[in-house]
Formats: sequence, structure tokens, C-alpha cells
Amino acid sequence: MMKFYFALWLAKLMGIAIKLVSKGRGTNLPGEKALTIDPDFVKHFKNIDYSKVVFITGTNGKSSTTNLVTHILKQNGKKIVSNLEGANLLGGIATSLAKEASLSGKLKADYYIFETDERYLPLIYAQLPAENMLITNLQKDQVQRNGDPDFIIRKLKEVVNPNMTLILNNEEPRSRFFEEVARRSIYYSVSRHNESFVKGGDYPTQACPKCHHDLRFDYYNVDSIGAFACDFCGFASKSTPDYSVTELNFKDNTFKLKDVVFHMPYDLPFMFYNYAGALAICDAICGITPAAAAGAFENFKNIGGRFEVMTYKNKTIKYMRIKQENPDTLQSALNIMASDQSKKMVALGLYVVNDFVPHYINTFYAFDCDFKPLVDSNVERYLCFSEHVAYDTANRLVYEGVSREEITIMDSDDIKEIFAEIDKAETDNIYLITWISTFEKMKKFIEGGQN
Amino acid sequence: MEQTIKVGWLFNNMFNLHGDRGNLLAIQAEAKRRGYRVEVTQINLDTETFNPLDFDFLFCPPGEIEHFEAVAVYLEPHRNELMAFIETRPMLVTGTTVALFGETIKRDDQSEIIGLGIIEIQTSENHVVYGDDLYYSCQYNGKEMEIIGSQIQMIDLDIKEESPFGRLKYGYGNNGKTKVEGVISGKGIFTNTLGPVLVGNPWLTEEIINLIEVNKNWPVWEEQRDNSLELKSQKSKIVHINKKETRLKSISER
Repeated sequence: MMKFYFALWLAKLMGIAIKLVSKGRGTNLPGEKALTIDPDFVKHFKNIDYSKVVFITGTNGKSSTTNLVTHILKQNGKKIVSNLEGANLLGGIATSLAKEASLSGKLKADYYIFETDERYLPLIYAQLPAENMLITNLQKDQVQRNGDPDFIIRKLKEVVNPNMTLILNNEEPRSRFFEEVARRSIYYSVSRHNESFVKGGDYPTQACPKCHHDLRFDYYNVDSIGAFACDFCGFASKSTPDYSVTELNFKDNTFKLKDVVFHMPYDLPFMFYNYAGALAICDAICGITPAAAAGAFENFKNIGGRFEVMTYKNKTIKYMRIKQENPDTLQSALNIMASDQSKKMVALGLYVVNDFVPHYINTFYAFDCDFKPLVDSNVERYLCFSEHVAYDTANRLVYEGVSREEITIMDSDDIKEIFAEIDKAETDNIYLITWISTFEKMKKFIEGGQN
Repeated sequence: MEQTIKVGWLFNNMFNLHGDRGNLLAIQAEAKRRGYRVEVTQINLDTETFNPLDFDFLFCPPGEIEHFEAVAVYLEPHRNELMAFIETRPMLVTGTTVALFGETIKRDDQSEIIGLGIIEIQTSENHVVYGDDLYYSCQYNGKEMEIIGSQIQMIDLDIKEESPFGRLKYGYGNNGKTKVEGVISGKGIFTNTLGPVLVGNPWLTEEIINLIEVNKNWPVWEEQRDNSLELKSQKSKIVHINKKETRLKSISER
């Protein structure tokens, strides 16, 4: 155990030192160092009741759901250990535990709520065998690393076992597949609402995870997520899930769950599942009823959200962060733009995938997305920018019927050139999709007085 | 009467990984430009009567290996028809699904799946995924061309005596150890190039339609497509490839 104590004290010291230098940094490093000293570091903490540990995993929505669950529980007086900054690998979890533990490694919390990277889940579970897990959804994502959804499903299969309680998205077939293995499954759901949508018959769906035949979706609430059924084996979304967000009211920003009215802090469709999932965890695992949770929705601020608004000269730039290689987040962004029928300029900066070497070009997920509602929504002009990728992005629009004359193509990431194009727009309503680095540069440019 | 091109889109819902529907859009757009109507039939496990020879072009997108056994059982009765099809008619098979048309697929857990044996290749699932750009030269329907796209390699190919589709200029290709990419068997293209390869490389799309015209005894369309957008894209991507950091063994050293 001496290795553990040494690792713990070092992690604590590092955590304090990093906090002094830069607040908000150091979410991974102390834990990573501790794990090099004691590879079983996380396993050696004391007093963790695994029935009080909840993992939140899946492709999209992990961070927001984790943030919301933690917020609700804290507002209700619970002591929570969590990895709120999105450090979702073993090192991040180790950092959080080290920070909260006593010098002898004892922990005293009501619940442990951890966002966990789906790819590294087996490694995390080996040291921290949580008895509860929420799976948000299992989608096509980061294909350079993950290949296909089945690659991730196989990772989850290594972990899900008959002692687990699963909290599952009722309208997402791949995560629902795990209901067969778990001791208990709790289903959360979002009912059909004004921004639910359908896609044409030439947009593929997916295979039934139980019998391989084709699934049918009656509608989507978020891309690839909605009321589904397999006509061959009968696998389908349940008509009476345990926790359902209903009566979404975009005018009043409210919704209902189990007859309780909630304030809707963000009216973005992908957030609705996060609300439902968070409320399911709080009630079913932590004993905080929807009525007790409702107050926390009044002051919930999501960390690292995907939507930001900037003012530039007389124009409003609405930035939407998407995940590269992930059609679902791109489709959500397209739907948001399409729902705004006022005149707009759309600046699309899909970019070279540069997560690790080799950097490569992948815009093909754009062909999974339906651009037609956007194209039909009063777009004054399109700007396709970003080095090496701009022509492909423009071509996607051309295949949706946009004429080449309506598109400015800029084989560059130069923000001055981007702003020059924005200046030319007659409309003051600008939508922007690009990676966080370009966005941050643009934000700095504006904050630097270039208004 | 309007001339119709019949396209069979194999397992479009089951095999749906990389925006593959773009390939259908490319075929449709080029056929429409030439004044043809395109009839797309989606073939799935519930299709009761499937005869490959009813179609002018078949497209089979990449899919999860998890589903291969079910598809192999479905397609096995049509094996001879598929072999006859690719003797003269164009078929495009992309990504992991190439393995399904080969002999044995060795999985990472050491289990094996018996493929259709339409092309004589052995395949093995990789433990890790490799994603990168892919750039090669090839010939199709008598025309030399360069193809650029991307590759997410989950299965390595050993193509034995089969003819490769492309000669690599950059990329992993069939297994990262050889200079070749994919397989061409008759008029069937079996390639690792993912996503809408026919969108990014319209010169290949044009040759597929040219071949369909010949097969149907229609006059071959003379008026060239405006490929300027795609050519600019290709040029920019080559610049990216030439300056990028890579850990792949160079093609000349393979």
C-alpha cells in the first residue's frame, strides 16, 4: 500500500500546484502520474460503495448528462465526486478521487458520478466496478479511432454484466441491445416534439442489433434516435418508458416529466435526452424525485456547451461546435439552422481531422446528413472554408441542389478572410460551423477590438 | 421512352458507415446529366426475389463484420449470378465489405466467417483501426485515372493471385505492406476507398456510366462533365498528403 499512499500524496500535491498556476487545468495529469506509480491506484481507494457509483458513457451527451446529474444532486445537498471537466479516462477519474480523498485514501461521498470514455471503459471498470451505468447512445463517431459502432459495442460487452443496473435511451437501438445482459434496465425517453423530423427513404437507417434485419424509424428526435421498430423480430422502442420528457414547449421553455413541469435551460433537441437521462439517474439510483430535481433546472449552466453566440460589428454569429466524423452532431446543427427561417449566411468549415497522426481528410459523414431543410430555409450565401476540405464541403451542398454561384469557396483557415466574407453578407444573421481552434481565434479577433 | 439505369443498393441500412449514400447520389447525378432515369432498388434480408442480373450496377457499402454471416447466408444462393454479373457489369464494393466477397474472414477473436468466395482473397480483422488518406492510380473501363479518398481499415486483405485495383501513391492500401490497393475482378471494383468515392472522383463515375451505356447498347455520351471542383479538391488534397506527417512505410520501400 505504500505505493498507493505515495501516489495519492503526489497527486494531491500536483493538483494543488496546478490549481495555483492555472485554475481549471490539471484534470488528468495528477491521476496519470499516480497511475504510473501505482497502476492499481483507483482500485486502492477506501470506502467506495460500488452501488453508489454511476458511469455515464456513450457517443454523445456524456459531459452534459454528467454535469446535470451532479448539479441536481449537489443542489439537493448530496456530496458528489465527479469528473466535471470531461477528463473521462482513468487518469481523470483518478485525479477526481485523489482530490476528494483523505490523506489515507478514504472517501466519503453520497454518490460517484463519472463520465467515462466508451473506448476505455474496460480499463476503468477493472479498477472501479460501478454497479450503475447510463449509455447515452452508440453512434458512428471518431471512425479513425473507433472504426464502427460495433467496435465500441464490443468494448461495452466486456463490462456490462448481470450485476449492473443500466439506464438506457429508449429510442436508441444499439444501447437498448444491452438490456438483455443487465440485472435491471431503466428506460428514459423523449416524446415526439415540434423539432422531431423524418428523413427521406434514401437515407439509410441501421440493422437491428438483435436479428440483423432493417430497422424502421417513425421519426427522429435527434439523428439516429427516435421511435424505432424491427418488423422482423419485434424489437422496438417501448411505448411506456420509465422516464419520459413530454410536452416540450419551445415558447415557454418548459417540459414535463412524471407530471412535474421543468424549466428547459437549453432548447436544443440533443439536450432533451440528457434531461431525461439525468432525471432517471437522480430518481432511480439516487432517490431524488423529479419534483425535488426541478429547482436545479432553473440555474443549470452547462460546461463546454456546443452553442455560442458572438457579436461582430452589426452581425450576430451563432457558432455550433460539431464533432468531426460524427453525423449526428452535424445533423443537429443543420436542423437548428434550418429551423431559423430568417435570411442567413452559413459558414461551413469542416476541417482536416487532426486528432492524432496521421491527419486525414474525412467529410463523408456529411452525406449521412440531410441538408435539404437548411437549403430550403432562406440562405443568402454559403461560405465553405478550411484548407484542403473546402471543395468537398462545397460539393456536398452542390449535391443538395445549391448552385456553385451561391457558394464562396476558401481553401484556407485564415480568419481575416473569413471575416471579410462575413462582412460582405447583407444579412446580420450568421451561422458558423468549424472546429474549436478556428472559433477561438475568431473570438479573440472580435474581443481584440476588431468590431 | 426514357432510358432507365437500374441500380441495386445492397444492404443499404445494414451497411451504412461512411456516408456511402453519396455514391448513389453521384451515379444518379451523372446519369441524369446524360438524360437517363435511375431506378434504385434497396436489397435487404427481407427482399424475396433478388436477381443480380436484373440490374445494371450494384453497390455494396461497407458494414460491420457483426452482420456478415447473415448477409453471406442471404447472398450465397446468388453467388454464381454475382460472378456472372461482374464479368461484364459494374459493381462497387467498398471498405470492410470487400472481405465478405472473399474467402475466409479471420476475426480478431480467432473465429472465422466464410465469405462468398467470389474473389480469391483472404482477410483478417485488425486489432486496432487505421484511418488515413488514400491516393492511387488505377485503370477502369480502359481509362487511366487517379483516385483520392480516405480509408478506415479494420480488415487487412491478402489478395493472392487477384489483380489489384490500384497502385498506391500514398496510403495503407490492402495491408500497409504492399504497393497495391483493392481488387478488380472483371468489372467489379473491390476497394478500401470509403465514403462517397464516386463523388470525389467523378472520372470513375463517368466510366461506370460509360460501361453501362456500352452494356445496354446505348451510344456513349460524349459531352464531358465539368469536373473543375473535384480537380481543385484533388489538387489541394495532394498538397496535404505531400506535407503530412505519417508513420506508414513509404510505398517505394514496400
